[in-house]
Amino acid sequence: MTEDRLDKLLHKTLKREEPAPADVDRVLKRLAGRLPRQRFALWRLPNVLLDWQFAPAWPRVAALACCAALGFFIGIAGVDRHLSRSGYIAGGGGLGTIVFEPDPLTGARP
Amino acid sequence: MHESDDASDLALMARVARGDEPAYRQLTRRHLPAMLGLARRILGNAADAEDVAQEAMLRVWTHAPRWQPLAAFRTWLTRIVVNLCLDRKRRARWVDLEAAGDIVDPAPTAGEAAEQDEREKLLTAAIADLPARQRTAIVLTYSEGMSNAQVAEILETTVSAVETLLIRGKQNLRQRLGDVIDKDD
Repeated sequence: MTEDRLDKLLHKTLKREEPAPADVDRVLKRLAGRLPRQRFALWRLPNVLLDWQFAPAWPRVAALACCAALGFFIGIAGVDRHLSRSGYIAGGGGLGTIVFEPDPLTGARP
Repeated sequence: MHESDDASDLALMARVARGDEPAYRQLTRRHLPAMLGLARRILGNAADAEDVAQEAMLRVWTHAPRWQPLAAFRTWLTRIVVNLCLDRKRRARWVDLEAAGDIVDPAPTAGEAAEQDEREKLLTAAIADLPARQRTAIVLTYSEGMSNAQVAEILETTVSAVETLLIRGKQNLRQRLGDVIDKDD
């Protein structure tokens, strides 16, 4: 058999035929269920960090500015001092006022 | 395959890599028929081909985050299908030949099988008997119309190795069919 004849016969015999739609549907149905977990490679992590968007998001910047302004006005108005005064504990004479008083030694035994 | 299709495949794969299920379903619907046909031609068995096509499409989903567009998506998917087919062929070698029964005709319907003439039937059987890699090289070349370079990329070998596979495959076919076909002509 010559090379050309074999080539022609191979082309004819192995001609590309799409499978029947019913066969394709059967496989699609088998794939329709819940998919397994995807596998992530650890070496992709640096790429994730490199792709991270560090540009500021304006709502977050506005929220941060509001918090800073609120803190500034609380500090100026001294609201925090009033709060701390109201909770002040009297009788604070320092460490010297703390006396260690053990039970007196009477010699008596229980 | 058109470049636009390939670009669209790349876009879909980028979405699949982020876990986008509808994109995966679209990609599956697009490529499953061709991959099922290829597996059927390599394995010569419809049931095994369905298993291989299903497994290949699941691998697309699970490996998508790791995938890098170094080659066309279609080439990568074809490589998965071919490797799965070769694995299956390797495992099938251990099956008792008597228990395995006759080689199944890869033609999908009885009507189409009836249309095949005797020579084509003989050639189909002879191709089924070829070693797995020779058979795969012949199917990819004559059925998928791939160049030797493309076949080499899929089989992860050199172009000269593919040429050798094709030459040896055709020699084997000629040895088996030569007399029969020459008589007919």
